[in-house]
Amino acid sequence: MHRILVIDDAATVRMYHRKLLSDAGWQTDEALNGVEALERVHAQEDDAVFDLYVVDVNMPRMDGYSFVRELRKLDARHQAPVVMVSTEAKSQDAVAAFDAGANCYLVKPAQPLALVLSAALLLGDRQAAIKASRGVRS
Amino acid sequence: MKAAAFLAPPAITDADFRKFAEFFYRKTGIHFDESKRYFVDKRLIERIEITGAESFRAWFVALRFEADGAEMQHLVNIMTVNETYFFRESYQFDCLVNNMLDEIAARKRPGSRIRIWSIPSSTGEEPYSIAIYLLERWKKIDQYDVEILSSDIDTTVLKAAQRGIYSQRSIAHLPAPYLKKYFTSHGENEWRISRDLVDSVEFTRVNLSDPADTRRFRDIDVIFCRNLLIYFDDLSRRVAAEAMFDSMSPGGFMCLGHSESMSRMSSLYTVRRFPDAMVYQKPLEA
Amino acid sequence: MGLKKLVDMPTLRLVEDRDRERDLPGLVAQLGDADAAVRRWAARDLASHPGAVPALAGRLTDEADSSVRSALFNSLARLSGDIVVTSLLPLLRSEDPGLRNGAIEVLSGLPDAVAPHIEALLQDADSDVRIFTVNLLGDLRHERVTHWLAQVLMHDSAVNVVGSALEVLAEVGTPDSLPALRCAARRFGDDAFIAFAIDLATERIGRS
Repeated sequence: MHRILVIDDAATVRMYHRKLLSDAGWQTDEALNGVEALERVHAQEDDAVFDLYVVDVNMPRMDGYSFVRELRKLDARHQAPVVMVSTEAKSQDAVAAFDAGANCYLVKPAQPLALVLSAALLLGDRQAAIKASRGVRS
Repeated sequence: MKAAAFLAPPAITDADFRKFAEFFYRKTGIHFDESKRYFVDKRLIERIEITGAESFRAWFVALRFEADGAEMQHLVNIMTVNETYFFRESYQFDCLVNNMLDEIAARKRPGSRIRIWSIPSSTGEEPYSIAIYLLERWKKIDQYDVEILSSDIDTTVLKAAQRGIYSQRSIAHLPAPYLKKYFTSHGENEWRISRDLVDSVEFTRVNLSDPADTRRFRDIDVIFCRNLLIYFDDLSRRVAAEAMFDSMSPGGFMCLGHSESMSRMSSLYTVRRFPDAMVYQKPLEA
Repeated sequence: MGLKKLVDMPTLRLVEDRDRERDLPGLVAQLGDADAAVRRWAARDLASHPGAVPALAGRLTDEADSSVRSALFNSLARLSGDIVVTSLLPLLRSEDPGLRNGAIEVLSGLPDAVAPHIEALLQDADSDVRIFTVNLLGDLRHERVTHWLAQVLMHDSAVNVVGSALEVLAEVGTPDSLPALRCAARRFGDDAFIAFAIDLATERIGRS
């Protein structure tokens, strides 16, 4: 069972993303800024590490780019793909995301299909991808 | 007398509970899910009645918009467990002697000083627990000079800590050999800790919000600040976290209470996970 | 070795070092010291000097050390007042999320001083500035917060500004907010997230 960590300072966004991702069949957990996210990461036992991170860019205390940079310094077992989610549509922000170590970049409000398909692709979960592209109306 | 006084106490709706839970989680990091309904609802109703609010909504608006943070402090008090006793949350003391101190010692010459700060001291259970752990469970205790500093804003509790007399309840989690070794019976149901242990802790009165007070503390290698900052308002908490950061040596460790998190206070510390506990570390100098 | 006895511990009796000036001009000069620890101490000590606001705020954009930056913000928060607000508002436009969010955190604790600026900020041409202003409202203790949020729901052209306002409204919304919610539903309700957020805010507002 894949585990996804959803990181966003807005409770509504966390709830929304978690609902989309759990409807797609994955387990989810959440954090509201980069510091809490690192705590969640460290708290996971070895057999329960996260397989994907969905990370908001603009968060107080520690923003998304800083979180990804810190994540990429941790042990191999914590490394997993990162979907960055941002209100920014400028190309330099997508570049910043990739430089920090993210794999994918979505602009808010994230469209359900885009989020779920990106996750499925990065998780290598073909069944979820098929289910999503059949069932989701955006 | 208002008619409202004859009605049943307000029930907490699902929406009310979720609104409260999200707010409380956002502010404190403490998460209440549906399994905690009974615990939470009972306490919310208590606060609503004590403050004389006419409904959950009225109480919540007052809480959210109050200028002075007083109701929030009452709320945090009532939603958390405040007891102190010997070896409380001892997994952090395990972490101290199993990992933290060894890392610190590796950076110091044998014979040099290691400094541990316990704040709040409250009535002394925490600093004395640390002292017992060091003597009994840290293999390298004889190779270093360990100083234990302990502080509280309340001189009454500091005096009690220095008196060193404890109830049955307070020593209940101590292994019997330690009780025998470090305490003597006092009166009917109490225990007095050895003077040697009292003398090994330096007690001071400190106000964490006052830079002049905290300036005296330097080169601290480990701080235990458990179940204190959660009762502070947002700004005082940030100021305190920063004052403690300042007092620490690079590479020093900080332990908060098990339901507390730096994520609501400061991004200056690095998260470190050890087998026994997750703690925070002041970065080593670049 | 072992636990040091009290009599051997002179550490806390160390006299405060007096080789650095602690008056206003001296402290301000130390904000530019090469040593981050000196800068940090100066920033903290300036919390008791109201005249230090321009120097503290001015140092922010040049300060690279996050612990010094944190001390600068905390001292500004403690000093409070209109000048703190006007000095920090420009940071809402900063590209640096640390500076921006540090400013928002201080500003959200100064409701009376910040209030006169909110309406202009909510009309800013830059939708990011409007989002950050809404974020600021999320912790602001001012009686106009729900009114300002309703204005955003009814008039703001940017979906993410409206989304941010819905987030805050889920917490502070009242039955008086419902018409504004319906307006937002008409304008942006075909976005799945916005529809979700409107339903959530409506549910949180409840029936009473």
